[in-house]
Amino acid sequence: MTLLRPLLALLATLFALPLAAAPHVAVTLAAESAAPAPGKPLTLALTFAPKPTWHTYWKNPGDAGIETRAAWTLPAGATAGTLRYPVPGTLLISGLMNYVYEAKQALLVDVAVPATAVPGSAFPIRAKIDYLVCTEEICVPESATVATDLTIGDGAPDAAQAATFAEARRALPVKLAERARYAVAGDRIALAVPMAGLDRIERAYFFPAADGIADYSAAQAMTTTDDVLRIETKVQGKPAGAIAGVLRVERAGEAPRGFEIIAEPGVVPAAGAALSASSPDGTPVAAAFLPALLLAVAGGLLLNIMPCVFPILSLKALSLAKGNVDAGTARRDALAYAAGVMLVCTALGAAILALRAAGTQVGWAFQLQTPEVILGLLLLTTAIALNLAGVFEMTLPGGGGGQSLASKPGAAGSFWTGALAAFVATPCTGPFMAGALGAALVLPPLAGLLVFTGLGFGLALPFVLIAFVPALRRRLPKPGAWMATFRRILSVPMFATALALAWVLGRQSGIDGMTLGLAGAVVLGLLLWWLGQRQASGRNGWAAIGAAVAAVVLTIANVQPAAHASARAEVAAIPDAEPFSEVRLAELTKAGTPTFVYFTADWCLTCKVNEKGALADPAVAAAFQKAGVRTLVGDWTSGDAAIGRFLTSRGAAGVPLYLFYAGNADPVTLPQILTAARLIDVTRS
Amino acid sequence: MILRTLALATVLAAPTLAATVGQPAPAFTATDSNGKVHRLADFKGKTVVLEWTNAGCPFVQKHYGAGNMQATQAAATKAGAVWLTVNSGAPGRQGFVDGAAANAEIAKGKAKQTAYLLDPTGTIGRAYDAKTTPHIFVIDAKGTLAYAGAIDDKPTADPADIKGAKNFVLAALSDVRSGKPVATATSKPYGCSVKYG
Repeated sequence: MTLLRPLLALLATLFALPLAAAPHVAVTLAAESAAPAPGKPLTLALTFAPKPTWHTYWKNPGDAGIETRAAWTLPAGATAGTLRYPVPGTLLISGLMNYVYEAKQALLVDVAVPATAVPGSAFPIRAKIDYLVCTEEICVPESATVATDLTIGDGAPDAAQAATFAEARRALPVKLAERARYAVAGDRIALAVPMAGLDRIERAYFFPAADGIADYSAAQAMTTTDDVLRIETKVQGKPAGAIAGVLRVERAGEAPRGFEIIAEPGVVPAAGAALSASSPDGTPVAAAFLPALLLAVAGGLLLNIMPCVFPILSLKALSLAKGNVDAGTARRDALAYAAGVMLVCTALGAAILALRAAGTQVGWAFQLQTPEVILGLLLLTTAIALNLAGVFEMTLPGGGGGQSLASKPGAAGSFWTGALAAFVATPCTGPFMAGALGAALVLPPLAGLLVFTGLGFGLALPFVLIAFVPALRRRLPKPGAWMATFRRILSVPMFATALALAWVLGRQSGIDGMTLGLAGAVVLGLLLWWLGQRQASGRNGWAAIGAAVAAVVLTIANVQPAAHASARAEVAAIPDAEPFSEVRLAELTKAGTPTFVYFTADWCLTCKVNEKGALADPAVAAAFQKAGVRTLVGDWTSGDAAIGRFLTSRGAAGVPLYLFYAGNADPVTLPQILTAARLIDVTRS
Repeated sequence: MILRTLALATVLAAPTLAATVGQPAPAFTATDSNGKVHRLADFKGKTVVLEWTNAGCPFVQKHYGAGNMQATQAAATKAGAVWLTVNSGAPGRQGFVDGAAANAEIAKGKAKQTAYLLDPTGTIGRAYDAKTTPHIFVIDAKGTLAYAGAIDDKPTADPADIKGAKNFVLAALSDVRSGKPVATATSKPYGCSVKYG
């Protein structure tokens, strides 16, 4: 035992040293008065500022975590009370509920100043604070030593601290004077909390103060009857006597408020009316929603000039330039086109939100993580390119012939063109989109969906404008023989898109998969040429179409994803890059090493352009080496869940994401279109 | 992707009765770090301890670094109990191990468990409602869950707190051995969250 004690002390020291060097939370101590009065309580504020993606815990941490502890060293006769916590937030990770603070927060504590303290004498306050700080993956127990030196005086509040204390008190829960009641039936517990303004409550959550009251991760059903808010959830253990907790209430147009409640066993009314639905125009939602929507519209607008969308849009626009389109038809076509685009974008958004709700980490363009979809897109873009090149015409067999996809008459044709444009646009993530879609994932589902619809609106906007503004339409070039030539030229970016998709397919399913895809494209090309020959001679094309469809189906049915290892042979554009893991990132930042982290995926064209361009620049590699920058690469091609979570925690909906951690500081997010100059610049800062 | 999600949803929807102290402990079948298959039923007649672990978690490191977990394991197995360490970390999440990594952990920590079970799907973890690392369960010889909770009563990551802490697991094992009801049958587990997929 005598040997064990120094050993344990040594262990504790070793443990504490690296943590003190690079905390993930900045802890500061403030006193409400610099001159506390004898015999009067003095309020102190402990402010915790966690780094982004890190959280600290409430007094009852929930399913995991621990509460914060403070060991005070105070002048003789002075005593410190218990820590008073602000209203926490909920953080559900893999089915485990955590009660946490993800942003700066202040804990308050009252110190009893002895009545015998002599005015003018020193009143030093020291404290060692032990707390746990975690991300969704890792936890670090940290200690902070805080101090403030005061002088006994008249107790006048320190004006410089007034704002800190006012804000800290606002965040504390207030005691609810009236007692609440609770009843347990089977494995359910129901609480009845009397309160006013029930009709304006949008959301509420009950945080049990201790174990043995309610299951933390179970859903809480909130209803209102007469003058009580009724909370029903799964019971934990066997509650008896008075139970305590904090109720967080969000009312329309107000900041969330917390109430400290104490409930006695009693009669709880049956479930009443559901809470008034959260309105998308509520202040907190609107604050995040409007910028996200605007960014999405801008992002959609820019998508129009991407190589995968531009040819389709151009043809659609030129079809209006032909003299035979009257204003009414133009508007009808434009609306149908917009409907097609917006519907596909909204449907993709709905699929993403639904999959995320089911626990799968997906983001924009998630459908490109399966080789079947890539192969399907490869064949589709090949077919579109061949069509643009004039090999065949998109027309119903036996129809008039000679009309291209883009000028196919009728609203239905326009609708499908729109749907196609939106679907082939997904590999091209443009500027502004990441921020907008990242926000969409954390907004309430309806608002999130509207952001995706906004993206579609932006994508459809140029064509709608051309159709609705006659002045724009008149500016379109006069139709003529050049249009046929222009159409042939537009097949080039489309073929390039097909080529890029073939490369992605090769990365996903190996050389066999890519060969299969290219073979499929060749067979499809031959069959479409056959179709074109029949169309030219006015014959029926059903046999050719049937054979083409069969070729596509057979090819897609045979593609196999390659083993992860072989397809992931090399991903790094920067020498000595390591695979990304949150643990490795934490190690590097803890050691103060400047670290560049980038997230990529093979189906992300923007990522690949950056990796072949700025990231492959020898000057960048030299600058990184000189500054001792380590590089971590996260490859999201196959939709790694850990990376998905990290991206979400950084507010990004997908790749690319470029972060630069200069030692312990918060990371700098670099633009999605990287330049070598910007990369070299950031190593110098 | 969609298929995987559906499969996941099916697993989650399967009826699972969470482990309750005083009730029969949920049955399970698992593969250990050496590829050997263990069933809870195989240990009928013996006291079984389940210990959830994650070597990267500071709370696990607190008890392994100071030798406290190994000492508790040795005391339990010496008295005839079976000690099963369980890792429910999902592939891709922090703390996930394969058999080789688990064996390396055992060797490094000089751990004294009977076997180290791999539960990458989280099936056993969910069945017992294991929430933290460490989180400990004691099952008596009749297969009844006798204890669920923390290793001791000092919920900190500071190894200096081990001395003077009350070891709930040793106390529960002693009560089970002498046929008494376990004095502290449940406690709030403390530590990092189990990294389920």
